[in-house]
Amino acid sequence: MGFLAEILGNLGIGQQHALMFALLLPFFPLLLLLNRRIRERGNPPLRPIPAYEDLEAYLGEATESGRTVHVSMGTGGIGTGVTAESLAGLTVLEHIAGHSAATGLKTVATVSDPSLLPVAQDVMREACAAQGYPEAYDPECVRFVSSDKVAYAAGVMDILGHDKVSCNVMIGNFSDEFLLMSEVGARNAVNQVGGTTSPQILPFVYASTDHALIGEEIFAAGAYLLGKTAHVASLAAQDWLRTAIILTILIGILVRSLA
Amino acid sequence: MRRLGRAVAVGVRRSLPMAMAMAIGALMLIDFFFDERHINALGGFFLESAVIVVAFALLLGLLNVLVVHLRRIIKREGGWFYSIALLAMALMVMVAGIPGPDNSAVVWIFDYIQFPLQAATFSLLAFFVATAAYRGLRLRSLEAVAFVLTAVVVLIGQVPVGRVLGDVVPALKDWILNVPSTAGVRGIIIGVALGTIATGVRVLMGFDRPYGGEGGGTQ
Repeated sequence: MGFLAEILGNLGIGQQHALMFALLLPFFPLLLLLNRRIRERGNPPLRPIPAYEDLEAYLGEATESGRTVHVSMGTGGIGTGVTAESLAGLTVLEHIAGHSAATGLKTVATVSDPSLLPVAQDVMREACAAQGYPEAYDPECVRFVSSDKVAYAAGVMDILGHDKVSCNVMIGNFSDEFLLMSEVGARNAVNQVGGTTSPQILPFVYASTDHALIGEEIFAAGAYLLGKTAHVASLAAQDWLRTAIILTILIGILVRSLA
Repeated sequence: MRRLGRAVAVGVRRSLPMAMAMAIGALMLIDFFFDERHINALGGFFLESAVIVVAFALLLGLLNVLVVHLRRIIKREGGWFYSIALLAMALMVMVAGIPGPDNSAVVWIFDYIQFPLQAATFSLLAFFVATAAYRGLRLRSLEAVAFVLTAVVVLIGQVPVGRVLGDVVPALKDWILNVPSTAGVRGIIIGVALGTIATGVRVLMGFDRPYGGEGGGTQ
């Protein structure tokens, strides 16, 4: 162990970085292996997540009623510490944009971080182009509200309160402003799906939305909504590593207790 | 020949952003883990470049706000007069900010308009927490029953009345907060960390292309 620590020290890797590296490294071969296996054998069964199942029904309801769907990807952006959460929100937007382009459902996406604006616009544009109607893309369907969290919440509250919104999807990085927005949605009887990774905000999500995506469930959007092999493979890789972590914890407890 | 050229151009347009993202992502990862002077300098350069790109994105955001609200005013959509107020205020702050962000007019606007408005909006949170708690505490499922029971025990354990009732309730409150609650939070954090790593690895390995360009999105 001391020898290994010396090598890592010479490479400029501290103990904490070494642990992170050890967690990261198995992902690469595992993802490749599982991706290949799923391509050959097909998707494994996924446990039902009610939020993703009911999202389809909410989108159908919005299409039939001619009302709008609002999508928020949180107050984080690309290139920040919460990029993964923002990308999870973008994956859900990709699914809704595809549905919207195919059925004519009006979708409004709002962003708080300007770095998300061109990416979200691109997702909407690509969805229209994929359906063969690039001219159907409306640049106004993605709106930058404000980079200030409270001002962003106020802008979204206005959309949820005054536009004819049937479904509100808020998945990404949020703080307390989540409740300001979701409560307006709840009061207006809007179907709501919310999800975030912060344990402090999750009670707000649970209490004010119809379906809450808890923590890592938001990263499963690609597998559940888009059915992409790589996303299903990464879910399987996460499960393998989670099992490894649990075993490590149990072995650690045993070693400590017996020592 | 022209068809071949077009195919090559499309291929480059699709592959180049992905290859660049993979290369720069890998470099940033090496920069994070290893202490090597040249790589650290290159990593620093890309971080600074990202800040500049985001600054340009802010300009795009401003343009988007102008387009959305101008269209609303022209079409006389509901609340169009608020759009006039928004554009007028945006113009006023921009003009006031020309001498610099420390200009007294800008400071006044932020101190006496922006911050009080923020505080007023945020103060709504107290009332919203009450209504959300009411909604969350309805017994709609077995999960909600557990939620209500836990909330009641923790609430009684936190207030002085809990001590009057005896030591059991405060002790139960401490146990809930220290054992199941902490365990749950740690479980969520570990899951989120794995999900975040998986997202990054998918981008690094070229499975995901969420950064736009032709054929963007996930594969």
